[in-house]
Amino acid sequence: MTWEQLIGAGVLAAMLRLATPIALAALGGVIAERSGVVNIALEGCMLVGAFFGVVAADRTHSVVLALAVAMAAGAVLAGVHAVAAIHLRSDQIVSGMALNILALGLTSFLDYQFYGNTGTPADLAAVPDVEIAPLAAVPFIGDVIGHQNTIVWLTVVLVVLIQVFLFRTVPGLRLRAVGEHPRAAETVGIGVRRTRYWAVLASGLLAALGGAYLSLSVAHSFTDGMTGGRGFIGLAAMIFGRWTPIGALVASLVFGYGTALSFSLQGASIGDVRVPVQLLSTLPYVLTILAVAGFVGRSRPPASDGIPYETEGH
Amino acid sequence: MAVAFRTGLFNIGAESQLLVGAVAAGAVGARFGFLPGPILFPIVLVAGIGAGAAWAAIAGYLKAARGVNEVITTIMQNYIVVFVIHWLLQNGPMTAPNALGTPASAPIGDGAVLPIIIPNELVPLTRLHAGIFLAILAVVVFWFVLWRTPLGYELRAVGLGARAAAQAGIDPRVHTVIAMAIAGGFAGLAGMIQVTGVFHRVFDGFSAGYGFDAIAVALLGKNSPIGVVLAALLFGAFARGGSIMQANAGVSAQLVSVIEAIVLFVIAAELIVRILARRRGPKPLEAIA
Repeated sequence: MTWEQLIGAGVLAAMLRLATPIALAALGGVIAERSGVVNIALEGCMLVGAFFGVVAADRTHSVVLALAVAMAAGAVLAGVHAVAAIHLRSDQIVSGMALNILALGLTSFLDYQFYGNTGTPADLAAVPDVEIAPLAAVPFIGDVIGHQNTIVWLTVVLVVLIQVFLFRTVPGLRLRAVGEHPRAAETVGIGVRRTRYWAVLASGLLAALGGAYLSLSVAHSFTDGMTGGRGFIGLAAMIFGRWTPIGALVASLVFGYGTALSFSLQGASIGDVRVPVQLLSTLPYVLTILAVAGFVGRSRPPASDGIPYETEGH
Repeated sequence: MAVAFRTGLFNIGAESQLLVGAVAAGAVGARFGFLPGPILFPIVLVAGIGAGAAWAAIAGYLKAARGVNEVITTIMQNYIVVFVIHWLLQNGPMTAPNALGTPASAPIGDGAVLPIIIPNELVPLTRLHAGIFLAILAVVVFWFVLWRTPLGYELRAVGLGARAAAQAGIDPRVHTVIAMAIAGGFAGLAGMIQVTGVFHRVFDGFSAGYGFDAIAVALLGKNSPIGVVLAALLFGAFARGGSIMQANAGVSAQLVSVIEAIVLFVIAAELIVRILARRRGPKPLEAIA
């Protein structure tokens, strides 16, 4: 085992790449749950984003259109969840799981219909990397952030914007009020349901962007179930980050680092003992359970998280 | 699964409880493989059920003692188990040389292998093994415990209304742990049956998403034992029929997952309709007035 394998530029660059889709899903989770809706359909939103992003990139050869289509697909799926959770007051977990399975089945089926057994086309329009010329020559830093993908940077910007929106603006305050005490919020004239609809739609957009990042920035293709539970990991990052955008980003980086380590330490050994890299990969999940159980820091969800709201007089 | 639903818990962790049960059964079955069947099989059975139950009870405990949503815990547990199994089989204590092409454990002792009751030669493409009897037995036990024992009554009471049950002297927290443990025990049994009846060892990528299907099965079966059996048969037919259709008729097996997904979505929609219907009905107090 060497320092290069632990904190080398390659590991840190991989950490950023791996953290990005998780952070985008976590951001979506933060917005939805701050408004009081639990959206475990984020996984499905990522998956439809990944798939329809590829389809649009294939048909239009435009990255911008591809991302737009991907995010629209995520918003549609999230919209179904919003109707079920907000309008119909159904069990948000059941609805979310149903949509996850629906997304998995639908994308696998359409993938087979469109591309058969040959896989998605190789010449897909890809989201470009950002080359930072002055940095690229700097030894360590250049290797870490000198040529990261556009969406990696976009994610950092979104984290800051949403942090400011939630905690420094009036609409952000209203959104949080709806998640903490919807009745009080309604009393002062805030549309509880409307706010929640917008929040859930936004969560679908963000998660789908994370999915499109996987297919259009990293893999340059779509494979069935390619999101591999990153939507759920995003929810874990949201909890570990205590329902704040910046916290969620930090948690995503921790998770990304764990995964990056498990790649770089493949086959490494301390003395004669092989490093059990697979056990390292369990770290994010163990940390999350400990965090929600209150063993590591305090972590409290919004007071009305997951509780359907009903206006009085029904 | 269904046991946990009855107490109002949502157990997403059946997948991991199944895997833990399978690993325990595989480990014990291989380690004590020299024992004769009548001694070995009960040990493997208990190991599978016990491991699944203990693993699920963690989520139940965290829910009861720390108020942690069991959905979060069980999803996290699913990932933990997958990686731990990678480790166990790839470079951990259960690694064994084999000719499968994937990392796998040593085979279990012959004494623990479930006999095949309808061999392939008789009816092609089936490997119906004695696990079916264990499954039927489990359904009967499930029915008996839930509807014919004081424990079952208390579990259902907690599911219908935790606060009312607490007023009646039933501690919802204790029953949360018990319900999760029972659910985990059933999932562990399923994993144990997979090991002793089908694969005779544990290998990487062992689970084919059985736990995920179980959520759909329990919802479709409306948590009653007979319903669960019928729903399980339906999904079994989906899985089996899907691969045969693909081989013989060129129909995409993914079509089956789409149908499965639609089935689950219809179930969810049906739940929604029921919620709506209840809202429209007269409230109890108004009905009296």
